[in-house]
Amino acid sequence: MLKLLSPANREVLFMGNEAIARGALEAGVNVASGYPGTPSSEIIESLATVGKERNLYVEWSTNEKVALEVAAAASFAGLRSLCAMKQNGVNVASDFLLHLASSGTRGGIVLVTCEDPGALSSVNEGDSRYFARMLEIPLLEPANFQEAKDLTRWAFELSEEIRNIVVLRSVTRMSHASGNVICGKLPVKFRKAHFVYDGSIMDPLRGHVISTPVVAKHSLQQGKLKRATVLFENSPFNDYSGPKKPELLLITSSACFLYSREAIDMLNLQKRTGILKMDCTWPLPPKLLKKHLNSTDKIMIVEEVLPFLEENLKTLAAGMGKEIGIKTFYGKMDGTLPSVGELNPDVVAAALAKIMKVKHKSLPAAYTKELQKAAALIPARELTFCPGCPHRASFWNIHNAIALDGREGFVCGDIGCYAMGALFPATGYHTTPTLHSMGSGTGLASGFAKLAAFGFDKPILTVCGDSTFYHAVIPALINAQHNRADITFIVLDNSGTAMTGFQPHPGLTVSAMGELVPSVDIAGICKAIGANVAISDPFDLDGTCKILNSFVADKGSLNVLIMRQICALSPEKKGKKIFDVKVNEALCLGESCGCNRLCTRIFRCPALIWDRSKKKAVVDEVICAGCGVCYSICPQKAIIRTEAEKK
Amino acid sequence: MVSKAGKPSSQEILKKNVLNADLCTGCGACVNLCPYQVIYHDRTVQLHRCDLDDGKCRAFCPRWEIDLDLLRSSLCDSADLTPEIGAVKDYYLSRATDPKLREIAQHGGTVTALMELALTEGVIDSAIVSAGNHQQEQRGFKAIDKVSLQKNAGSKFTVSPIVAAFNQIAAENSGNVGVVATPCQALALAKMRLKPLQDDAGHIDKLKIVIGLFCGWTLAQEKFQALLLLNNINPATITGMDIPVGKKALVIKTGSGEKIISFDHVESCIREACRYCLDSTAEFADISVGSARFGNEWEEMRGWNQMIVRTARGSKLVDLALHRGILEVRKAPDGILKELKEAAAEKKRTALENIVKKSGSVKNLLYLNNSDPLVKKFMVKIKR
Amino acid sequence: MKVRLSKDSMNVIITGVGGQGNVLASRVLAGMLVNAGYYVTIGETFGMSQRGGSVMSHVRISQKAIRSPQMPLGSADIIIALEPVEALRVLIKYGNPDVAVLSNSRVVYPIGVITGELNYPSLTEIQNVLQKTTAKNWLLDATEDAVKLGNPVLSNIIMIGALSATDLLPIDRRSFEKEIAKNMTADKLRINMLAFDAGAKLI
Repeated sequence: MLKLLSPANREVLFMGNEAIARGALEAGVNVASGYPGTPSSEIIESLATVGKERNLYVEWSTNEKVALEVAAAASFAGLRSLCAMKQNGVNVASDFLLHLASSGTRGGIVLVTCEDPGALSSVNEGDSRYFARMLEIPLLEPANFQEAKDLTRWAFELSEEIRNIVVLRSVTRMSHASGNVICGKLPVKFRKAHFVYDGSIMDPLRGHVISTPVVAKHSLQQGKLKRATVLFENSPFNDYSGPKKPELLLITSSACFLYSREAIDMLNLQKRTGILKMDCTWPLPPKLLKKHLNSTDKIMIVEEVLPFLEENLKTLAAGMGKEIGIKTFYGKMDGTLPSVGELNPDVVAAALAKIMKVKHKSLPAAYTKELQKAAALIPARELTFCPGCPHRASFWNIHNAIALDGREGFVCGDIGCYAMGALFPATGYHTTPTLHSMGSGTGLASGFAKLAAFGFDKPILTVCGDSTFYHAVIPALINAQHNRADITFIVLDNSGTAMTGFQPHPGLTVSAMGELVPSVDIAGICKAIGANVAISDPFDLDGTCKILNSFVADKGSLNVLIMRQICALSPEKKGKKIFDVKVNEALCLGESCGCNRLCTRIFRCPALIWDRSKKKAVVDEVICAGCGVCYSICPQKAIIRTEAEKK
Repeated sequence: MVSKAGKPSSQEILKKNVLNADLCTGCGACVNLCPYQVIYHDRTVQLHRCDLDDGKCRAFCPRWEIDLDLLRSSLCDSADLTPEIGAVKDYYLSRATDPKLREIAQHGGTVTALMELALTEGVIDSAIVSAGNHQQEQRGFKAIDKVSLQKNAGSKFTVSPIVAAFNQIAAENSGNVGVVATPCQALALAKMRLKPLQDDAGHIDKLKIVIGLFCGWTLAQEKFQALLLLNNINPATITGMDIPVGKKALVIKTGSGEKIISFDHVESCIREACRYCLDSTAEFADISVGSARFGNEWEEMRGWNQMIVRTARGSKLVDLALHRGILEVRKAPDGILKELKEAAAEKKRTALENIVKKSGSVKNLLYLNNSDPLVKKFMVKIKR
Repeated sequence: MKVRLSKDSMNVIITGVGGQGNVLASRVLAGMLVNAGYYVTIGETFGMSQRGGSVMSHVRISQKAIRSPQMPLGSADIIIALEPVEALRVLIKYGNPDVAVLSNSRVVYPIGVITGELNYPSLTEIQNVLQKTTAKNWLLDATEDAVKLGNPVLSNIIMIGALSATDLLPIDRRSFEKEIAKNMTADKLRINMLAFDAGAKLI
């Protein structure tokens, strides 16, 4: 039986994202939508696996805004819906989110945002809690795995109670961490969809679902937020533990609660400090906070990334100054805690130790010295494209085409594994100087290409993955065509959303729930826009480079090259070598003039290693994926590839 | 990029002093030696960075560290040397005896006749000649018989990376090689003949004959291609090109008749590097051949070549050609050699002037050495 | 099978290079311990970090409560490394004089070592560090056994098998089989049991 459908009272190990999914199931969610993004993807993925059993509709939408619209429709029809995304996704969805928050919702709807403090798998560490404040909607933050489930379930009830969307924020260390969770009951009844719009415009359940009349609806919306505040005052999810009169009160939320508790344990401060764990972080419940602020004079706010809780708490405290007196606040704003990056128990403990004037027991000095000596031996391990990754060959081709053209062209990068071409210059062969949000590469390229009139005559290229293409590239591509921006637009089509774990996208014929669906053809879209379109296999270096050369040299048209080769980690390809690859040592020139280690120094495949004693290249057969591209670049034909036996 | 020893890499030296300085002739001496340098159209492109400081690319480049005095003294008989046109053992007007050969050739067909002979007599196993595509883009072509040789006869106006083809073919172990070379290419091959590096695997020893071509300049392929298109000439339809004496124009023969482009326009396409070249007669070839376009006797001379025999190897081949009756020769009219020398000297002076203009100092002669006696001789009139 | 842990919590780190099966190893280990009635917290990251980078899972086992998904520095009790230099990378941050280290000896070279910009320590150097900085350590060629079994990625299970034989944690062959049987076909189960047994033999 699937773990996600475990019976009530069963204790299981859930990843935070699985706990959120289970919470939604216990709430009787009907529709779930999202766009993949680390660390959020497993919520929709795991709901999709139980879609049939639980009567759900689950989809991967083309982007987060569409996903939220899909979820909202279900809510309008009285169903419960969940929409999941990473922090960047909230930016994409925010335009609709603002209008949705104004129009209100009907069936319970929860927007789950999984954020990435420290940007472990992101190109920003954006904090979207501010959207909740800006758009005036409630915000919940679970602080352990059990709560990830229980709070999600309650979020649906809250949403239905106030008839507005609720934001649930998780972070990498919640979503991708795992812990024990005791399961609750799964509902046995399923809702039917009804969409009623025959009532007065101000009737939240029968009127038109629109944000006008704006001022009146705005007032209605603020009333909903006040109702949430009242519910938050008595919510068991906000919980204090510690002495009655702590010397220092820690107010914290999310994974920081676990760090704070650990830090207190590390320093043995259980009797001197208390923790107020806030799961309901917007709007803050004033009475509850007044009570706790009155218990002490010193307060430390522990949170990631921006001082959201701290700002709101200080605003609240300022308003109740007469009643609570003057307090000392420690947190990000005074530098007690770092203002960037993720926290951990040690960071919190260091801050605590300083305030409480205690010392953390340290390792013996002699031992630390040995560790320091060992540290000098450890080589850094830079991220890179996997062995057999099509992107390595793609960037090789792109680099060569730009170099041959000779006008110092460059690539505007985009979001996906291929972002490593920009993040690590040598990995992208020094082609890709820009990287921003999804689809921005094409928009930027479109802009760069219009700078020729200002003396900037360079070929402009851009790349995007297949999933990214559907997500946000199409408007930028139309812009390039319509405004005559002569760019070379390259789709790195590896048949899936590789970075986040091969979620299906509109280019494939299978849906999130495994059903057969029509695929939307990238080449067809590009042709309809009016571009010249070619398709190549990036492993065919000569063929691909030829097309790229002509595209890069071409002035006066929008050229699209779709480089198509399946991701080396994709389930259909993983572990299946096309070629067995070996190095003929007798032919390998090594460091000599005539090669100077092209494969190990420049091409940089982790499976092609350099034997320093023999001074020859060697294939690490354990990690070689057998793509055989290195055969094509070896000037000596010293790399031999033979067709691998089909397993 | 610097090498492990902290010295600038060979590639970096070439990039800074040759490629970025517009001195690269596109000869191809640094190409097909390694995966780092390639020819694209007629440009030398450094694809990836190499950090070796003693690379063949630098050692073979005819536009870096050229010691003309050393080359002449090592490769020529000192008795034959002239300052203006290098070694001269014999000087003739010549043409191929076979009229068919003369018909397909630009002038007298001497080059094709000599290479054919070298092939058929087994002096060489293949000849590297220039072969163009429909975009006036030239490549070194390996001819192994008469047919393939004759197919590529005739003057080319854009440069061919002939030495790149030599590098490749010599490495293939397919026997002895002859090369038809422009002056810069002959210079690169001469530099190789001095064996500046130990590990060239004896490739240069396979080079048995170099037939040099007189050369005033070449056209940059991409610019020339654009000029043709601007004049509504489809490069694919071109059957031949010529600059008739006295006419300041390039005559282009196409399938649909002749088209004429004013020489002013053509001049703007001349490869920048050619302005810094001192050699108009391929001084480091074994035999040098050019048109016999001079004086008032142009029409009569049109079907003839000037031929300078420079080395013992050259003499041997020419003697064989005469013995076999493959070449016809006649004595050049009086004063013609002098005229050739004067023109060659003028080119040397102009090139040195251009070099000084570029470097900004008479002390810095770019790829040449200002203490080189030959250079000194032609520097006399150049103002500081 | 619930036995008292030698301390609470027991902190285990499983480390390796992206693609070596780090996540699966931590899930299997944690699953076995949850089945045995412990609170287990796993902290890990995936996504970009799995692309050839160093990866690390923190597994924290307690009889009392869920712990922070990131353990404090210097607090690892057991380090299981699928790659030797990764053992050192974790050791210098989370090591202490009582730590036990089980490391695969098969090297996966970082790209900087391949290009020649960085140096990789010799196995002797690695062994010296382990001798000086750990209470117990094992350097095993798990990859070799995995290759013999037909798939190098099985080295993660081999390391779990080896861990079970050390008696550092309350896990055994039966608890392993029970945990992996949940989501595996008979074929896969068989090969994984072979890998587990091969690992146990290495100790």
